[in-house]
Amino acid sequence: MTDQLGALTTIFTEFYYWITVVLMFLIHVGFCMYEVGASRYKHHQHTLMKNTMLIPLVTVTWYLFGWWLYWALPTGPGIAPSIMTESTGLVLGGGFGANELANPTNALMAVNLNDHIMGVFWAAFLLFAWTAASIVSGAVIERITTFAFGILAIAIGSVFWTIDASWGWHFDGWMLKILGYHDAYASGVIHAVCGGFALGILAVLGPRIGKFSPSGEPRNIGPRNPWLVCIGLFLIYTGFWGFYAACNIPIFDLGPEYGMEGVTFFTATNIYVTPTTLSGITMNFLLSLSGGLLAGYWISKGDPFWTYSGGLAGIIAASAGNDLYHPMQSLIIAGVGTAIAYKLHYWVERKFKIDDAVGAVAVHGYAGVVGLIICGFVLWGYPSSGYGVGSMWVGTDYAPINPLGMFIGAIIMFGVLGFLPGWILAKILHAAGKLRIPRDVELAGLDYNIMEQARKDERAVASSNR
Amino acid sequence: MATVTNWIEHLTTDVDTATEGVQVAGSVYPYIGSELLWVLAGVVFWLAWTFFTAAGEEEEQGKLARKKHGTNDYKNNITEW
Repeated sequence: MTDQLGALTTIFTEFYYWITVVLMFLIHVGFCMYEVGASRYKHHQHTLMKNTMLIPLVTVTWYLFGWWLYWALPTGPGIAPSIMTESTGLVLGGGFGANELANPTNALMAVNLNDHIMGVFWAAFLLFAWTAASIVSGAVIERITTFAFGILAIAIGSVFWTIDASWGWHFDGWMLKILGYHDAYASGVIHAVCGGFALGILAVLGPRIGKFSPSGEPRNIGPRNPWLVCIGLFLIYTGFWGFYAACNIPIFDLGPEYGMEGVTFFTATNIYVTPTTLSGITMNFLLSLSGGLLAGYWISKGDPFWTYSGGLAGIIAASAGNDLYHPMQSLIIAGVGTAIAYKLHYWVERKFKIDDAVGAVAVHGYAGVVGLIICGFVLWGYPSSGYGVGSMWVGTDYAPINPLGMFIGAIIMFGVLGFLPGWILAKILHAAGKLRIPRDVELAGLDYNIMEQARKDERAVASSNR
Repeated sequence: MATVTNWIEHLTTDVDTATEGVQVAGSVYPYIGSELLWVLAGVVFWLAWTFFTAAGEEEEQGKLARKKHGTNDYKNNITEW
């Protein structure tokens, strides 16, 4: 940084992403409150610890290999040509065919006075990774072992969502080039993949004891602390402001990047380097939240749990195209996505005996898939990447956004990188006897020993007189 | 020892005549060049944590399961504070 304007831009960008990380931290606070509120009293502390410990587990593995995977696999490998060539000037280093900068032994993966972006960008993606693992966490409460969840959290947080982000979010991603995939705020890249992953686990894990009657009728095990659930979801909404902002590039001169000689046009862009504004996506975020809340309230007949979840499902359904939608389009898409997710949740529960304790598969998975499919129609013909319209791309063009590409993209996200790995890993853990807690522990409660000790301590204190 | 007594000396590697400026060595952490060893230490710590906590969880749950508590027994343990 040798001139003041360059320094200001760099430090602004550094601080911008740092703020998004702080805001996104609230997503995890919200998920913890939400899960504890949804769980029964005798499982509270283990439920909290299970979700909390994904923070260090995903963080460590994200540092070791998750971030590197994101930069290693955009082209498949071998599915599409890379634009990271000498001619485009986008070569970022070697390192096992990937970006050497993301190698955990590289000097830039630490405090470095020549770089102000790597750490905050790494952290923003890490917070996405926590969100990914936390989505799965809620679905499996009260019966999964902490060990198994740790393995699965690392798998979704530092491997599978990373691969799909590399394919469908990275500016060099093959899904952009071949399918015209567009997913600005991660309807599929985070939500659909995690919903699918959770469903794969649930199919093997089985329901909580008592969830289904002997005749197979589902019973409602509602949230034990609805207030905690509501505050948790409010915090998740709040964290999503940071999530949306983190998906943007805050300040970017499109002129030279788009091959317009002598033109200077500063704007924010989405992660694909196509223009949008923080102002516009703020409107869309609020309208999609509103669409989800309205639809959730309507279809659940005013049930607070599904009304709040509907708000989240609405945001998720509209997120794929919220960089470009009109606010009223966001509202309607959110409402449609929420209604479909709600209906699918109960149909799948009844038909396949799937016990999704917090509705995570519906809110994130089904709403995400619906959002991707709708996006393919509404944004049909828009460019999927900024690099498809200008001088940066010198090879075959990027495919434009289209319904078929988005439909295939949704299948890849939910099925190929979500459901399938979740199901296979759960099968392996189940075969090893490590997936589910013993039946007697589930009946007694995961916190039984802690509660018993606390009771003994209480009696000892109450009976003492000095 | 990785003692830094003079930040200017620590950060200045050389003067590049091509750019006519002082070149800044960006890394400021101690023991530069030993990154791989620290990464390996992190891997060992992570794997050790996984192994020992998994063993502890299995042992604890095995003991609890053998006691065959009923589904409502936990209510006897609800504290007042």
